Amino acid sequence: MGKRLARQDLAFLRSGRVIAGAILVGTVMICALFAPLLVPHDPQEQNLITTLVPPAWSAGGDPEFLLGTDSLGRDVLSRLLYGARVAMTVAILASLGAMLIGATLAHIAGYFGGKVDWVIGRAVDVWMSFPPVVLSLVLMTGLGAGISSVILAIVLVDWTRFCRVLRAEVLVTRRQDYVAAARLVGFGHWRTLTREILPATMPLLITLFSIEMGIAVIVEAILSFVGMSVGANQSAWGQMIADARQTIYESGWNLVLPMLAIFVTVLGFNLLGDGLRRSLDPRLMQAREL
Amino acid sequence: MIVQLLGLFARRLLVAIPILFVVSALVFVVLRVLPVDPAAMSMPPNATKSEIEAKRQEMGLDRPLPEQYAIWLGKTLKGDFGASIHFRRAVSSLIAETLPATIELALLAMLLAAGLGFAGGLLLFHWRGTWRGEAADLGSTMLMSAPDFLWGLLFILAFGVLWPLLPFTGRLASSFARPVHTGFLLLDTLIEGRLDMFLDVLKHMLLPATALGLAFSVPIMRVLRSSLYEIDHADYIRQARLRGVSEKRILLRHALKNAILPTLTLMGVQFGFLFGGTLLIEVIYSYPGLGNLMVDAVRNADLPIIQAVALAYAAVVLVINMIVDGLYLVLNPRLRAA
Repeated sequence: MGKRLARQDLAFLRSGRVIAGAILVGTVMICALFAPLLVPHDPQEQNLITTLVPPAWSAGGDPEFLLGTDSLGRDVLSRLLYGARVAMTVAILASLGAMLIGATLAHIAGYFGGKVDWVIGRAVDVWMSFPPVVLSLVLMTGLGAGISSVILAIVLVDWTRFCRVLRAEVLVTRRQDYVAAARLVGFGHWRTLTREILPATMPLLITLFSIEMGIAVIVEAILSFVGMSVGANQSAWGQMIADARQTIYESGWNLVLPMLAIFVTVLGFNLLGDGLRRSLDPRLMQAREL
Repeated sequence: MIVQLLGLFARRLLVAIPILFVVSALVFVVLRVLPVDPAAMSMPPNATKSEIEAKRQEMGLDRPLPEQYAIWLGKTLKGDFGASIHFRRAVSSLIAETLPATIELALLAMLLAAGLGFAGGLLLFHWRGTWRGEAADLGSTMLMSAPDFLWGLLFILAFGVLWPLLPFTGRLASSFARPVHTGFLLLDTLIEGRLDMFLDVLKHMLLPATALGLAFSVPIMRVLRSSLYEIDHADYIRQARLRGVSEKRILLRHALKNAILPTLTLMGVQFGFLFGGTLLIEVIYSYPGLGNLMVDAVRNADLPIIQAVALAYAAVVLVINMIVDGLYLVLNPRLRAA
């Protein structure tokens, strides 16, 4: 029995999706961490003589600028690498914050039920009646532009994603016999929640966290696209897209490359989340055995 | 049936109205912590301090927050959303101009999303257990990773710039005089009986609506597929198989009917998200709708517009939820009998 459990616990490592997702996310993470060492140029260095150079492999390309330059002659590769820093910082911090608030409220609501559950449920209703983009724009207006505002806005908008889904899971878990047994043995509420219920909701929590990181990357791109994220002295993928839109007739690459960066990062998080859900979700595991 | 529907709508309204109040209060408070001074912004740059102070008093900004909210709420309930600081026009007329454009775009996008979603879901289910199914499944994960605005930009690059097939700015070619009836251009051009104009409007909407629809078709696909999976194990499907009913007939006549319900619930939620998604798509396509109005207002810190537009978005989402609940009741015989 013990052996079989161990095998199942590690099964997710063999899932192709998890591996592919981990490789993609890991690559972007390394780019973000080591951006200052990896960049060939200063990402802010302008050179008005070498503007809109196409990537090195196409006609007219310059091997000095591997992915070409933008309309101000800045090196696209260097800007992409520094953009990864912004994207990853937002993804990690915003998702952690949203998870902490959402998961805590979900466990409180699902476990205690009654009035607490009602209040939290209504709060989620109010939040969900806003399209997320609209709510984050309203919040950004109040908070002012900047990367910390972006993180805070995502936390304040996306906690509901965790809360709604996890609450349902807690409700199911709470009715399990082993939870009742723990209470009978004399476990307090805190201990029951952390030792009995949390382990059961953990797989879902991890999956949601991975997917939320992808969402955070998208929201940061949207907000920097409309000019509400980092300032002009930093580079973010959404900002690069907004710049490239102005010169779309001269250079398609400038637009496609940051889009590709966003896509690859989000794909990594989604593959990871999808793979983890498939290998960690006991209900799906049963379905496969049938 | 109609009585049940009316009862449902009444109950939903009872929930929706308090939600709108809370939403409006929340937006009001968030916008009041703003570091900019809307009074100073609405004055010419050479205005003196005392003139700005007078304007502040006129706008009621010197009063305590709850009082300001009460005044704003009283006016809003009468349909007076105030005047835009930037455009110097009544906010209500700005919204009346832009809201139909956004609804029109969202409806066309939803139609495309539903069509693509159902076709894709049936295909995913049909290919289950084969290498094609695995590939399509992976493909759907990849599709999910490209948000609507990336599709929008890609379409502009592909079908607007590199291979100029379709227009990608505005709602109507400038050579046409815009008909004014309902504000829904697809409808207005038909009222005028101008098929050439109707087609032009449709051409302008095709790229933004497809970008939105494509992104939102993937979750529909996946839910339809998994509901079909679940139903596939049901007794009545096995019985139909034993009776020798063809697979195609089982899928279309028996399984699909029951798989539609969970899919519909998801589509309701998705439509809310899709309606929010129009915001960025409108900005990208310079489409004169609610989203462009909102982003302009945010850039100009135009508080009266931001407040009203945020409320308009929330109201539309609540109405969508109500309609979906109604549809659910109409389509689900089990709920009807109860």
